[in-house]
Amino acid sequence: MSVNLQINNFWIERNERQLCRDLSFSVSDGELVRIAGDNGAGKSSLIKAILGWIPIEEGLIRLNGEDITHNRDLLLFDQIYLGHTPGIKSILSVNENLRMYCPNASEVALNEALQQVNLELFDDTPAAQLSAGQKRRVALARLWLTKKRIWFLDEPFTALDAHGVAALEAKIQSQLESGGAVVITTHQPLYHLSPKTVELTP
Amino acid sequence: MKWTWFHRLGSPKWFYQWAERWRGKCLGLGIVLLVLGFVWGLAFAPADYQQGNSFRIIYLHVPAAILAQSCYLGMGIAGFVALVWQMKLAPVFIKAVAPVGAAMALIALVSGAIWGKPTWGTWWVWDARLTSVLVLFLLYMGVIAIQNAIEDRVFADKAVAVVSLLGLINLPIIKYSVEWWNTLHQPATFKLTEKPAMPVEMWLPLLICALGSYLFVAGIAMWRMQTEVLNRERKSSWVKEKVVDYGI
Amino acid sequence: MNYRSFLKSEWLTLVRRKQDTINALLFFVMVILLFPLGVDPSKAFLEPASGGIVWCAVALSILMAVESMYKEDFNDGSLEQWLTSGLSLPYLVFLKVFVQWLVVIVPLLLVLPLLANMLFFPIEQLMVMISTLLLGTPALFFIGAIGSALTVSLRRGAVLMLLLILPLYIPVIIFATGAIRAAQSGMSYSGQLAILAAISLTALVLSPLMAALSIKASMN
Ligand SMILES: Nc1ncnc2c1ncn2[C@@H]1O[C@H](COP(=O)(O)OP(=O)(O)O)[C@@H](O)[C@H]1O
Ligand SMILES: [Mg+2]
Repeated sequence: MSVNLQINNFWIERNERQLCRDLSFSVSDGELVRIAGDNGAGKSSLIKAILGWIPIEEGLIRLNGEDITHNRDLLLFDQIYLGHTPGIKSILSVNENLRMYCPNASEVALNEALQQVNLELFDDTPAAQLSAGQKRRVALARLWLTKKRIWFLDEPFTALDAHGVAALEAKIQSQLESGGAVVITTHQPLYHLSPKTVELTP
Repeated sequence: MKWTWFHRLGSPKWFYQWAERWRGKCLGLGIVLLVLGFVWGLAFAPADYQQGNSFRIIYLHVPAAILAQSCYLGMGIAGFVALVWQMKLAPVFIKAVAPVGAAMALIALVSGAIWGKPTWGTWWVWDARLTSVLVLFLLYMGVIAIQNAIEDRVFADKAVAVVSLLGLINLPIIKYSVEWWNTLHQPATFKLTEKPAMPVEMWLPLLICALGSYLFVAGIAMWRMQTEVLNRERKSSWVKEKVVDYGI
Repeated sequence: MNYRSFLKSEWLTLVRRKQDTINALLFFVMVILLFPLGVDPSKAFLEPASGGIVWCAVALSILMAVESMYKEDFNDGSLEQWLTSGLSLPYLVFLKVFVQWLVVIVPLLLVLPLLANMLFFPIEQLMVMISTLLLGTPALFFIGAIGSALTVSLRRGAVLMLLLILPLYIPVIIFATGAIRAAQSGMSYSGQLAILAAISLTALVLSPLMAALSIKASMN
């Protein structure tokens, strides 16, 4: 599988404050792109603008050469987005949460994924009883359960312990090796990964 | 068919200059017509054979009620335009017109109540027209309230557009239901403005008043929109030049 | 995520939060209770007023139920996942409102005979009241869903939502109580029922679109 996402001349404003202008970069298979910048620089906003739920003033976005500026469905079908809040329903169990997001995963794959994120003992626990880090792990388990070509991970390492960070880095590595692409924002140093950096400067 | 006028109308700068030219004319002519209509209606038109002189408040009540409805109609259409074509000026229009329309609805309500006193003997009767104007007033309050509750401008613009459009879709249903309800509950009351054939000397000043208030409100709306446009475009070069021209 | 798994999780959530449903029901009963206590407990007042009383209580308890329908989804990040799922947001909204409607309306219909009886509502006409509820309440839910979507990100959105939405409930309440009143006085009421159905159908088509727009704007 090959993928190529091109961001051309993005101009994003929020509350009349310019977050970026004439920002261009591309993401292709096997590539890890890290969006860097201070708090409030607009890293999350940039990802949201790429996914099409905050408007851009100007710019063009192409997926595999096709212009998707006005309809991002092609991109949406082929990506996983994990934001600051992981989208885990507290009233549902870990298992049920994952089943909602990945209805086609087999029982075996599900257990495997839970093992990878160290939650195999919690599969029937309501998510309300999990810690913040554990909730994030539940969301991350989706990465093991669905095959999508582009990942958008907004600060995925927050609240994760050393073991979790290592597991996630390894998973990102394997995604890149299998021809996927990853867009990440993080302040944490990456130990085993060498990203291409997009800097957001005010 | 050429769409250039539509796009030009969507350009804030073009609108500002256009409004600059027409605003004064609308306001001036509107005021002249209003004065003419009022003086004619209040002093020279014949008294009503049933209601005597108290009917003369019609020259205030009816234009206000018409304007209240027209303003909402305009806002609803602007909401649709804002949502479908993302025209920049449409939310500006809604924001500028909502308080004016609300004021018109309030005038219609108060004048209706004042009119009701000599006619029915009470300030308020659950008359179909008065009740729908009351609901209309509440719809206006909703638009204004959500406009004020949201700080983010992009979101506020979308929200007022949705609320205005939603109100517009509901307005005919509300009006129809209220009228139906009214016939159900008080079949034979005396309706405020339902007159068998008004004589010309009575409805001509009314027409002039209505026309005058349309122009007057249009002028006010342009004025308010201009202020809002300046505020929104304050970073653009043409506004900066303008401010320099005024030497501020 | 697909529509089925979404529907299933919504269903599970609502079933587990039984208390919310029970609260809506209790609220309904309490509003009804206010009328005999606050106005007049005599049959002469209650019997003709019963349709109106039931419908006011229904409208208020539906507003309460709908008001916070996306609040949790907003707070836990689920709305972001809806937006990026590639699924149709209006359709997700439609499914969610539909499940909500089912969970609130069924218990309400179950206690209705008892309450109608307490209001001296003639039992032979209960089917008319149930028909108005079945045909009219979808409109209340779908219209309310727009208000809820508009105010989901606001700190004090609840009162604002009431202000926005309650005026829009007026036609439904008028035609529903009109139908009940017509039935009580032995007149034809099918016209009113048809209007209720038409309003609900319109709301069912338009409201998911507008609610989806509002959710998108709220997430801005
Ligand atoms: N929900 C919001 N509504 C309005 N403005 C916001 C919102 N979230 C963020 N912003 C603004 O957008 C800017 C960028 O925010 P964000 O993209 O979250 O930054 P980062 O992820 O780089 O820390 C900030 O200056 C902030 O003020
Ligand atoms: Mg961020």
